[in-house]
Amino acid sequence: MNTKGSKFRTFYLSLFFVILYVPVLSVVLYSFNKSSSTAQWTGFTFDWYLQLFNDRVIFESFKISMVVAIITSTVSAIIGTASAVISSYVSKKVESAINGVMFLPLIIPEVALGLSLLIFFTELNLTFGVPTLVIGHSLFCVPYIYFMVQLRLQEIDSSIIEAAKDLGASSWQIVKTIILPLVIPSTLTGSLLAFAMSLDDVIISTYMAGPTGTTLPVHIFSMMRTGVTPKVNALSTLFLLGTFLLIGLNQTIGRKGEKFYEEN
Amino acid sequence: MKKSTKERLKQNAPAVPILVYLILLVGIPLLLVVLLSFFSRDSLGNIVFELSFDNYKKMLDPVYLRVFFNSFILAILTGLISLIIGYPVAYFTAGLNRKSRSFLILLIMLPFWISSLLRTYGWTILLGKDGLINNALIFLRIIDKPLNLMYNFGTVLTGTVYMLIPYMIISIYNSVDKLDRSLLEASYDLGGSKLKTFFKITLPLTMPGIARGYTLVFIPALGLYYISDLLGGGNTMFLGNLINNMATRGRNKPLASAFAIGMILLVLLVLFIYSKVSKNSKESLL
Amino acid sequence: MKRIKTRRISAILVLAFVIIFLAACGNNKSKEESLNLMTWGGDFIPREIITEFEEETGIKVNLKEVTSNEDMQSLLEANPDQYDLAVLTDYMVDILRKNETIGVLDKDKIPNFSNINPVYQSKYYDENNEYSIPYAISTSLLLVNPSAVEELGADPIKGYGDLWQEELEDKVVIVDWSIEVIGVVLKALGYEYNESDPDILAEAREKLFELAPNIVRFETNTPEDSLINGEAVAGFMYSNQVVKGLAADENLEAVFPVEGMPIFIDSFVMSKEAPNSDNAYKFLDFVLRPEVAAKIADITNFTTANNAADEYLPEDYKNNPVLNIPDEVAANTSFYIDVASVLEDYDYIYSEFKNK
Repeated sequence: MNTKGSKFRTFYLSLFFVILYVPVLSVVLYSFNKSSSTAQWTGFTFDWYLQLFNDRVIFESFKISMVVAIITSTVSAIIGTASAVISSYVSKKVESAINGVMFLPLIIPEVALGLSLLIFFTELNLTFGVPTLVIGHSLFCVPYIYFMVQLRLQEIDSSIIEAAKDLGASSWQIVKTIILPLVIPSTLTGSLLAFAMSLDDVIISTYMAGPTGTTLPVHIFSMMRTGVTPKVNALSTLFLLGTFLLIGLNQTIGRKGEKFYEEN
Repeated sequence: MKKSTKERLKQNAPAVPILVYLILLVGIPLLLVVLLSFFSRDSLGNIVFELSFDNYKKMLDPVYLRVFFNSFILAILTGLISLIIGYPVAYFTAGLNRKSRSFLILLIMLPFWISSLLRTYGWTILLGKDGLINNALIFLRIIDKPLNLMYNFGTVLTGTVYMLIPYMIISIYNSVDKLDRSLLEASYDLGGSKLKTFFKITLPLTMPGIARGYTLVFIPALGLYYISDLLGGGNTMFLGNLINNMATRGRNKPLASAFAIGMILLVLLVLFIYSKVSKNSKESLL
Repeated sequence: MKRIKTRRISAILVLAFVIIFLAACGNNKSKEESLNLMTWGGDFIPREIITEFEEETGIKVNLKEVTSNEDMQSLLEANPDQYDLAVLTDYMVDILRKNETIGVLDKDKIPNFSNINPVYQSKYYDENNEYSIPYAISTSLLLVNPSAVEELGADPIKGYGDLWQEELEDKVVIVDWSIEVIGVVLKALGYEYNESDPDILAEAREKLFELAPNIVRFETNTPEDSLINGEAVAGFMYSNQVVKGLAADENLEAVFPVEGMPIFIDSFVMSKEAPNSDNAYKFLDFVLRPEVAAKIADITNFTTANNAADEYLPEDYKNNPVLNIPDEVAANTSFYIDVASVLEDYDYIYSEFKNK
């Protein structure tokens, strides 16, 4: 690649990421604002962080959100990927049926989906809590992963699979050694998106959480009436910081591991 | 070769759990919405089971059609702008080495782990009268009076693009990532210019990713509601706000259902056009 | 021809579904004494009050936060045996008692009920005070920056009618709800809230359209910010927002509109099938204690319905007319009654107005 092109590439990507992160940085910045309103900057304070640690409810809701998001993204990754793999095996008609059904959760307004699931699960006598939250969230997360994995699958060279079959590979072996390694990157990015969507859902979470469950986004939205406190900005800041630390740690360990590997 | 029924059954059997799962959990709610849309409600908000087309007649009023139109335009533009901004991001990212690639993908996703409501407030902090941008411009003496950056269609569009662009980038990235780079090399070897190679090879080959990304951005853009409230100053009525209002504070679930059906039909129309277009583009490629 | 068996994948799939469903069905209710409470988020029922109650009684309070009265209605009606108490707004009390979702309260178990100010009792939604206990009172009123209004050359703002002055172009912020906005118009025209007469609505529509150039933004959540940052010089908003605005900027002033204003009474109600009703009564009596009620009022910036709380209220609360509503102002307030029956018409006008 010529240098002019790569300079433009660096410039474009840098600009994009700056714009992507500026609103996030203002969320971080205002976690240190004295005033509880975002209208003006009245001075620097750590008060919100101190108050945050005395707020049991906010931490409980954060915990529920994290647990639900982690399970949802894992479950959705499995179901979404498996569905996509299956859809490539079944007949064309069934495949388009699956495609059509997968679009459904995306086009039904969340209020409708949430309310009907509430009625439906009440009839089934399910206990509302983390499992119902996971079911509700996975409904709109599975399609995203499904479509992304499917996109990837469409391009797999069918001659490789034919060749493997000729060599006597079982279907499970084919899936395990050829298909899965190819689609795993899409599954991973898809489940990252699923994680984000689950962590951000308000409407379905309102209906799917039981009397003991309030997720963080519901907590944040329900504060609209009394005013969103910078405590949630503080929590988000800590969350981001923690994530970056984890990524950094992962990278340095990865690098060290590589070095170790190279040296030996 | 014709397949026996038994073989066909065997081939299609694995699809059963998926179909059951989705039809049970999504099909039933959808059916409920369809049924509700033909009913009405009493003054307490309880459903009155009398079939009528009244809700649909109401929906066809020009005032409400205008709401549909506004949302449609917003969703179309959100898709387009996400595509224009997101394509190069996906393309450039896919061209990096493996490590930087996965790091950048993570960076794209990370902001979305923070509540979208907070990030929308983040934009108001930036663009507000007393916001960071205005203060910076005044400090640099570029302007002497704060500019009106908020509360118009443009800010709503900025907000929705910001919220939904990762879906576009990830879809396109998935497409670009698996592009056979040797095809591009071959094109260069044959004397094709970069631009020509891009339009003749890269773009057509990533078309499925673009189309999928577009639908994944378009659909949620139709239904978003709080972004237009916070960034648009509530100056325009969008479908998401209207349906949400009707279903909750209006306690008119039947009417809200009819509007939801209207929205679903709009999406189906777009999906239909998209399937026609993608079929044509495939044919032209062959 | 494809003839690959994918039994194993579908087995995994089925297993995944089964696991989540089984997990959802698993009923592991602990025997711990608890109370399931549902209301708005934020500090609507302050954390420290809940903690105090938990420490005193050993009852664990599960707080469910929601975003609307209608969400509370849906949840209560779907699972009445899972919720004990809810705090919701006046009109919803009326709906829930008519739908028989909430039960009659046993006043004998709430000795502190006698602390409640009679002014906030026996309202249309609960004439005999059987179903509800008023908890927080709020109003909607005007927040004005008088010096900025003067600078613009406009007359001082005393009521809704003054918002139409052409000097106020792009300088008015207003709560984003059709009922409130059209309510302002109706009051300015001298009518009552929730008029449904088509002629009156046609007149209101005209008048509403005339207001359009003056509105800089519709904002339900933080309208006071627009006055603090100078975007607007007058705004119509909820009383707790006015209180916040007053605290943040001393140039601002609260104005009780001469035409009168809306009032909201958020009340405790008990689910008809409350699983922990005894604990619920303990909690109700606890929050009705004068010193507790005073603390709640101070934290939440809502007017307390508790008469006995007065002596425990801080001075700045008592001196705040928005919180300590003068009697003559309180007499000039009215409820939004039967919102649902007019909302469709109002939303129609509102959509038309916004899309102009």
